[in-house]
Amino acid sequence: MPQFEQVSVFGSLIFWSVISFAILFFMLKKFAFPPILAALDDREKKIRGDIEASEQLKQDVEKIKIDLEEKLAAAHGKAETIVQLAQDEAKKLQEKTVQETEAKVKQVQREAEQEINSSRSKLLQEIRSYTAALTIASTEKFLKKALDDSDKKRLVDESIEQVIQELEKNQQN
Amino acid sequence: MESPLHHFEVHTIIPIHIGGLDLSINNAVVAMWVGLVVIGSMFLLPTRKGLSLVPGKLQSVLEIAVEFIRNLVYEFIGEEEGRKYVPFIASLFLFILACNLIGLLPGSYTITSQLVVTGVFATGIFILTLVIGFSKHGMHFLGILVPPGIPKVLIPIMIPIEIISMLARPISLAVRLFANMTAGHTVLAVLFGLAMTGPLWLGWLPFGFTVVINGLEIAIAFIQAYIFTTLTCVYIGDVIKLH
Repeated sequence: MPQFEQVSVFGSLIFWSVISFAILFFMLKKFAFPPILAALDDREKKIRGDIEASEQLKQDVEKIKIDLEEKLAAAHGKAETIVQLAQDEAKKLQEKTVQETEAKVKQVQREAEQEINSSRSKLLQEIRSYTAALTIASTEKFLKKALDDSDKKRLVDESIEQVIQELEKNQQN
Repeated sequence: MESPLHHFEVHTIIPIHIGGLDLSINNAVVAMWVGLVVIGSMFLLPTRKGLSLVPGKLQSVLEIAVEFIRNLVYEFIGEEEGRKYVPFIASLFLFILACNLIGLLPGSYTITSQLVVTGVFATGIFILTLVIGFSKHGMHFLGILVPPGIPKVLIPIMIPIEIISMLARPISLAVRLFANMTAGHTVLAVLFGLAMTGPLWLGWLPFGFTVVINGLEIAIAFIQAYIFTTLTCVYIGDVIKLH
C-alpha cells in the first residue's frame, strides 16, 4: 500500500495538512463563524421576540374584544332602559289625556245637566204661575164670586199640585 | 491492469527541502488546498459581504452547517462549556469534509486516505483532550481511569483496561477515517479497472456500479466527517464532565 510505503512524503503531508488546518481554523474562527453564530442568535432572538409580541398583541386584542363586548352589552341595556322609559312616559301621557278628556266630558255633561235642570225648573215655575193665573181666572169665572184669601190660596195649591202631577205623569210616560 | 492502489501514490510537484525535512508540495497537498479554498471561500465570501436577517440560499447552507455542528457540540459537551469549542469542531468537520469530497473528483487525491494525516489529527485531538482534562480538573482528572461505582478490588484491573481504552480512542479515530476513505477509493478503482479492461458488452456493468458507488462515497464523505467530529465532541465532553 502506498500509504505505508511512501515514507518520504509523510513529513510534507503532516506539515502541510496541519498548517492548512491551522490556517482554515484561524480564518473561519476569525471571519466566518462569529457573524454566522451572531446571525443565528439574532434570528432566534427576533423570532422569540416576534412570537412574544404576537402573543402580547393577541392578549391585547382579547382584552379589547371583551371590553367592547361589555360596552356593547351596556349600551344595549341603556337603550332598552331608554325605550322602556319612553314607553312608560307615553303610557302616562296617554292615561293623563284620557283622564283629562273624561273629566272634561263629565264636566260638560254636568253643566248640561245643570242647564237642563235649571231650564226645567224655570219652565215649571213659569207653568206654575201661568196655571195659577189661569186657575184663578177660570175659578172666578165659574163661581162668579170672590173667594177669601185662604180659599184662594188652597185652591191655587191644589190646582198646582194637580197640574204638576199631570206633568210628571206625562213626563214619565 | 493497473494496480487499484496506484492512485494512492503521492507525486511531488514542487520539491521543498528545509534542513533534512522533505516539505515538498505534492498532489495530495494541492488537492487538499483546492478543497479548502472551495470550502473556505464558501464561508468567507458571504460573511465578508455581511449576513442578512433573512438568509439567501448560500447563507442558509452555511447557517445549517454551523447550527448542526453547534447542536452537536452542545449535545455532547454542554451549552456553557461547549460554546468555545464550536469554531474548532466546526473547522475540523469542514476540513475533513472538504478533503473527503475533493478526493472524489477523478485525478484528485484524498489526503484523509493517508493514515499519517488522520493519525496526526487523532493524536492532536487526544492530546487536546488530555490538556483540557488536566487544566480543568488538575490531578483529579486521573479519576477518569476509575469508572464510578466500581468495587475497590477491581481498581488494579480496571486502570490498565481504561488506559488501553483511552489509547484506543485516537487509534480507532485515525484508522476509521483512513480505512473508509481507502476502501471506498479502492473499490471504485477496482470497478473502474474492470470496466476499462472488459469488453463493452460486459464493461457497462462495473461502470454502472462505479456510478452507484460514487453516490455512496459522497454519503460516506459526509458520514465519516460527521463521525470524526462527533467522536471528538464525545471525547472532549468526557474529559470535561469526567463521567
